[in-house]
Amino acid sequence: MFTIIKNRVIQLIVVLFILSLFTFTLMKMAPGDPVLTILNADEMVVTEEDQAELRNKLGFDQPLYIQYGRWMLNLMQFDLGKSYMTGKPVVEELLTRLPITAELTFFALTLMLCITVPLGVWSAKYVNRWPDQFSRILALVGASIPSFWLGLILIYFFAFKLGVLPSSGIGSYPQIILPAFTLGFTYAVIYARLLRAGLLQSLSEDYVYAARARGVKEWRILWLHAFRAAILPVLTIFGLSLGSFLGGAVVVEILFSWPGLGSLAIDAILNRDYPVIQGYVLLTGVFVVLANLIVDLSYYVIDPRMKRKEEAL
Amino acid sequence: MNIQMPRINQIPFFFKKQNLLIQCGIIFFIIIILITLIGPFIVPNDPFTANMSERLSPPSSVYPLGTDHMGRCIFSRLIVGAQSTLGITALVVVTVALIGIPIGLVIGYIGGRLDTVFMRLADGILALPEFILAIAIAGFLGPSLTNLMISIVFVKWIAYTRVVRSIVISERNKDYVLAAKVGGSSSWKIIRRHMFPQVVSPVLVLATLDIGKVILTISSLSYLGLGAQPPAPEWGAMLNDGRPYFQSAPELMIYPGLAIFFVVLAFNLMGEGLRDKWDVKSR
Amino acid sequence: MAENKTTTTGENNLLLVENLSVTVRNSGKKLIQNLNFSIPKGEIFGLVGESGSGKSLTATVILGMLSKSLEVTSGTVKLGQSEITSLSEKELRNIRGHDSAYLSQNYQSFFTPFIKVGKQFIEIIRCHTNMSRKEAKKVAIHWLNRVHLPAERVFNSYPDELSGGQLQRASIASAIMFRPKLIIADEPTTALDVLTGERILDLLCELKEELNCSILLISHDLRHIINRTQTVGVMYGGQIVEIGKTSAVVADPIHPYTNLLLQSRLKLSNQPPLELQTMLGEPGLIAEEGCPFSKRCPSVMKSCSNLVPMNSIGTHHSAACHLVKAEREERYVTH
Repeated sequence: MFTIIKNRVIQLIVVLFILSLFTFTLMKMAPGDPVLTILNADEMVVTEEDQAELRNKLGFDQPLYIQYGRWMLNLMQFDLGKSYMTGKPVVEELLTRLPITAELTFFALTLMLCITVPLGVWSAKYVNRWPDQFSRILALVGASIPSFWLGLILIYFFAFKLGVLPSSGIGSYPQIILPAFTLGFTYAVIYARLLRAGLLQSLSEDYVYAARARGVKEWRILWLHAFRAAILPVLTIFGLSLGSFLGGAVVVEILFSWPGLGSLAIDAILNRDYPVIQGYVLLTGVFVVLANLIVDLSYYVIDPRMKRKEEAL
Repeated sequence: MNIQMPRINQIPFFFKKQNLLIQCGIIFFIIIILITLIGPFIVPNDPFTANMSERLSPPSSVYPLGTDHMGRCIFSRLIVGAQSTLGITALVVVTVALIGIPIGLVIGYIGGRLDTVFMRLADGILALPEFILAIAIAGFLGPSLTNLMISIVFVKWIAYTRVVRSIVISERNKDYVLAAKVGGSSSWKIIRRHMFPQVVSPVLVLATLDIGKVILTISSLSYLGLGAQPPAPEWGAMLNDGRPYFQSAPELMIYPGLAIFFVVLAFNLMGEGLRDKWDVKSR
Repeated sequence: MAENKTTTTGENNLLLVENLSVTVRNSGKKLIQNLNFSIPKGEIFGLVGESGSGKSLTATVILGMLSKSLEVTSGTVKLGQSEITSLSEKELRNIRGHDSAYLSQNYQSFFTPFIKVGKQFIEIIRCHTNMSRKEAKKVAIHWLNRVHLPAERVFNSYPDELSGGQLQRASIASAIMFRPKLIIADEPTTALDVLTGERILDLLCELKEELNCSILLISHDLRHIINRTQTVGVMYGGQIVEIGKTSAVVADPIHPYTNLLLQSRLKLSNQPPLELQTMLGEPGLIAEEGCPFSKRCPSVMKSCSNLVPMNSIGTHHSAACHLVKAEREERYVTH
């Protein structure tokens, strides 16, 4: 277990380093002068002295590597600078938006499980019969449908035509349903296929045959003996696709006007608010690596053999 | 307890009954290619001509699917949009393959420290969602189609390199490669003659399945305003254009969305068919 | 066909398999054809044949666990008073693990790998009784002790923490907890080394005496089970080609396939072996019509492509081969 954590921490450092270098470089390559942005040069008269003073204050007159070093030092103290737009610290901006995105992600994942598990089990139980074909078609649709379009269609029917669910806003449970479904559906149906494949594999294992031969009830065999082995590949793929899941969250936040991290990022892009973009990219990188660490650790809970294999090493 | 089922006779894979979906995929694909190639010459109206007196008009003989908020023919824009959406996607996937395959061949064949460094780097980059990277690049360099393409290529090539690398690693110690070495073949020749043919079909499957994903990414980002900019008739951008009107004129978003859906579906069906046919393991 | 049952018929049969045929549902391919055998109470019956001959499938049918893609097209399987082929899934479940017990060749995956052995014992006990967990644990510990295992330690272990022999013993313990009438042991020793395997068989025979149950011992190697079984059936291509008292079959094998199986056995005799018979074809080459072995048989004759009935040699021995009646030497066909 220790090795796993160690590897992930190393990865985290590598990721953060690449990301910081990446965003820093991009920021320097970016067109437009941030000093003019901050001084709101479009609307006000800005003198050369004002510019030079701010440039000096922000350290922009220093060589690049010193700027980078300074920036890194600040980064280690969780200081990402101030938003050009609001003037508030970026960390503060991010933290106020974080709970909203977390809520969306949480509900989307819950909904995803509620679809994936029954659908996967159901189609494994009736292989090549209509439930299986049904889930196969759903997965194809899920993999082919643009999620924002699915969201638009859902809004159109449920909010405008039927008027049963609100089309936007946050705070109440009915408002969560459509965004969570939009975000979760695509993954749910694809993971259901993975779960089905895993179940078919594990249900054909000898230990399942042996458990049947001992008279164990079918539902116990499915959930206690076969399910654990079947969920592992689903978890692996989930860890790998977590990034695109967060990307999907951006689209859904825009679509349903949720003021989460994604909305913040898009706003920042449209307003050239570089520190906020930087903060967002770094934070997401951290999330992805940490989430993968959780996925790694959950292996140990699911399959106790892993622990002993490692101890033997 | 495993009873071996008799193997079904070798019928060409797209004629098999269970591959009905794949047949549909191929038919869709052919239609899409035809539309892309000859579409611009047969569109009833100019896709860029705005006609404010005809805005948001219902389908008619002049405008088969009606007009958008600027009075442009939706049908014509869809047809021409196919070219830009598919053209961009094809360009992205080809670029990715051209970068990813050679690097994978070389890294896999040489191995050693180079390989270790690469794998660490790849793990690092793969932890970053391509979507987020695209946002970063679009954010710093300004939203445009070119920047969007750069960001997708930047992330995607790694997947190809990884696939190619793993195949090369599993092949390079096999006896026939050894025999070729003993026979005096140069490394270059071994890579070209023995390694490259091995990676063609897995990469083709990967690319076919990726086309769908790239189309979805491009259109999602265009929808967010980070990709194709108006008035380009790109499907995602069309959806974004129609967003303010979609309560009153839902067809503005229904048609481009359907277009994206069917094209992606066609590529997914073909990709699955190819994967089954060549028995390539999904990653 | 094959009206005569060479083994003892009558009321003291624990397991009676009559005219059993199993086919693949979609293709109609026959996997088991007209199987007839019976196991008397307290006896060990050996079923021998190469892989794919249908012996494990026979076990599956007796356990009532045939997959949905296969079906029993004819025949009956009677275990005690129950007619297995006509029972509901629930009734079958009550029989499995209770009246009939199964031991696998693959001891390593006999227990589910991520559940502790003890938990799986308790699961079995509570599937068949209303015992509390505590009582169930007592029972489990008792039986683990009975098979000479360090009970507490095994109880609290994951399957992969135990050795092969320990696992096989634990699986025996789990099988005999309800004093089953029939133990189906599918190649119980194949994956073990020779000594451990022998000890496992010793234990099985000992338990058989104690529980007064019958054993269906499945093996691919006739030599392994000669000393342990009272009756033996030789399977090829889904059919029993020779069946009889083990002593009679070994002393006077009729069917060329039985001969082949016995051939590599070292005989203590004064004569050196005449010559090694070369077998035609590859293992698994099964003739669709007539005797399934006819494509490989060195003594094949024209009539072998027709249905070959069971011919009895004595009261306790019969074979589905024309060589029974014929004076063997005269009818050889040269190739």
